[in-house]
Amino acid sequence: MLTANSANAGALQPGPVMAWMLLIWQHRVLYLMLLPFAALTLTFGLWPIALSILVSFTENQTALSDAATYVGLENFQAVIADPEFRHSLSLTLLYTALSVVLNLSLALALALALSGPTLKRGATFYKLALFMPVVTPEVATFIVWKWMLNQDFGAVNAALSSLGLPAFAGTTKADSAFIALVIVELWHHVGFYTVVFLTNLQLLDASLDEAARMDGAGRARRIWSIWIPQLRPAIAINSLYALISFLKTFTAVIVITKGGPNFATNFVSYYAYTKFDLAQYGKATAMATILFVIVLALTLLVHLYSERKDYR
Amino acid sequence: MSAMRRLGPLIANLAMTALALMFLYPFYWLIVSSFRSQEAMLVNPLRLMPESFDLAAYTSIRLVGGVPIEVYSFNSMLITVLATVLAVATTALGAYALYRRPHLPGFKFVQFGFLLTMMYPAMLLVIPVYLVMFRIGLLGTYAGLVMFLALQPILFLMFSQFFRSIPRDLMDSAKMDGASEWQVLTRVVLPIAQPVVNTVFLIGFLLNWKQWLPILVVAASPDRYTLPVALLAMNTEYGINFQSTMALAALTTAPIVVLFLLTQRRVIGGFVAGAVKG
Repeated sequence: MLTANSANAGALQPGPVMAWMLLIWQHRVLYLMLLPFAALTLTFGLWPIALSILVSFTENQTALSDAATYVGLENFQAVIADPEFRHSLSLTLLYTALSVVLNLSLALALALALSGPTLKRGATFYKLALFMPVVTPEVATFIVWKWMLNQDFGAVNAALSSLGLPAFAGTTKADSAFIALVIVELWHHVGFYTVVFLTNLQLLDASLDEAARMDGAGRARRIWSIWIPQLRPAIAINSLYALISFLKTFTAVIVITKGGPNFATNFVSYYAYTKFDLAQYGKATAMATILFVIVLALTLLVHLYSERKDYR
Repeated sequence: MSAMRRLGPLIANLAMTALALMFLYPFYWLIVSSFRSQEAMLVNPLRLMPESFDLAAYTSIRLVGGVPIEVYSFNSMLITVLATVLAVATTALGAYALYRRPHLPGFKFVQFGFLLTMMYPAMLLVIPVYLVMFRIGLLGTYAGLVMFLALQPILFLMFSQFFRSIPRDLMDSAKMDGASEWQVLTRVVLPIAQPVVNTVFLIGFLLNWKQWLPILVVAASPDRYTLPVALLAMNTEYGINFQSTMALAALTTAPIVVLFLLTQRRVIGGFVAGAVKG
């Protein structure tokens, strides 16, 4: 249609703006349907993000006023020069790597176990138990964990000692506080990744598995060479969700450890939050922006990786 | 050999049951602890039944931070229901429009903007949202809270997934018969969408009930707090009363546990549908 128009360029020709407006008018109903959603996304999504990034370039004292002083990359330089920020960033990355690997491998193992005939009879109960922590309010369940880890009357140490095992220092020591968060968040999240794997396992191509069985491949061999390769899309989507959620870990920190002891669990989102509390808005938003860029880059990486795998 | 064959599954089931009980134990411990005093806990932390069903902790939380518990419960219910209704309506229509004509001018921008919002660290988004709320005069209002909470990524993904599963022919043939875009939605799509709408509503309710940070930041005073926020406030003040904290945690969790037990198949299925790649 456009080429026909450009052939007789002298005639009345709708310019690109006119063509757009015509298109928009033709589809006005769809635009109206999108409007509320677009308005919410703009007002409570994109605008705050833009504002936050903007604040990261301003001086703390003037950050929230109408006449903000722009200081270029000063906040970013200050944040990167801050040894506690570098410590916090490496803690966050270590925590994320550890949690992603633990969550996904445990979820995959559980899903493989639950998909077999052996556990079929109790499957509904098992799934329910694993999924309950996903839907219940974290503030409440993390408080419960905080008290269960209590040294004096918590259930964790009482159970360990009744089994004759050494006590767990919980949130009182640096290393154990870090591990405690990994475990509590594993409890909170693993059910979600498990049911995603489980659903995808049920969609697998049964004929491939059958053929491999005919060729005499054992169960372990079939899981490794037939099932796992077909699960790649599910592995990709689970890694994506896990990466995004663990990089942003916050609720568990504020409820259970408050970044301590001795900054051992001072992850980036919590550190930025404490800076915000101290009215260091420029630094807080600079940290948020750095974390955002990391999340974005890793998401893109996983996405590209999974696309390439699908293309095969 | 045959003994092994029978023993294997038994051991597998026992191990899985043990794991499942470990996952459920914190909920059980929560309920039991809300009836036990700190002194009793010290003597025997693992006791399975409380010494008595002492309701002292529940009566002690009549007032939390000077605000009656009814106010928090009312806020939780009101904010959760309104935010979920708004979320279902806006995301359903938005996802539908984006699905019907993804290439219209501006549509890609909205979709992309929404994905970016998903990736921004939510707890840090809340800080600038405070500024936005302040500028548009919604700070401390129910309306501001409800609108912010209505932006829920997983609900959008669930609707997108559902629309993509509808055969295109169904809509195209309605269009051919001269139906308007609005008629296609109300006469063709909505009648088959009822189950999805229900599931999305359910999941939206579960997710909004547990929100706390946006409410803590945007609410100007404690009389706008919901149950999880009141609970967090209680957790932060030190010298905390253990028993009362457990009672409030139990009250915050119980409605969700009951709702989930009644609808678990639908809820789990819905969460997975939102997480299928596409």
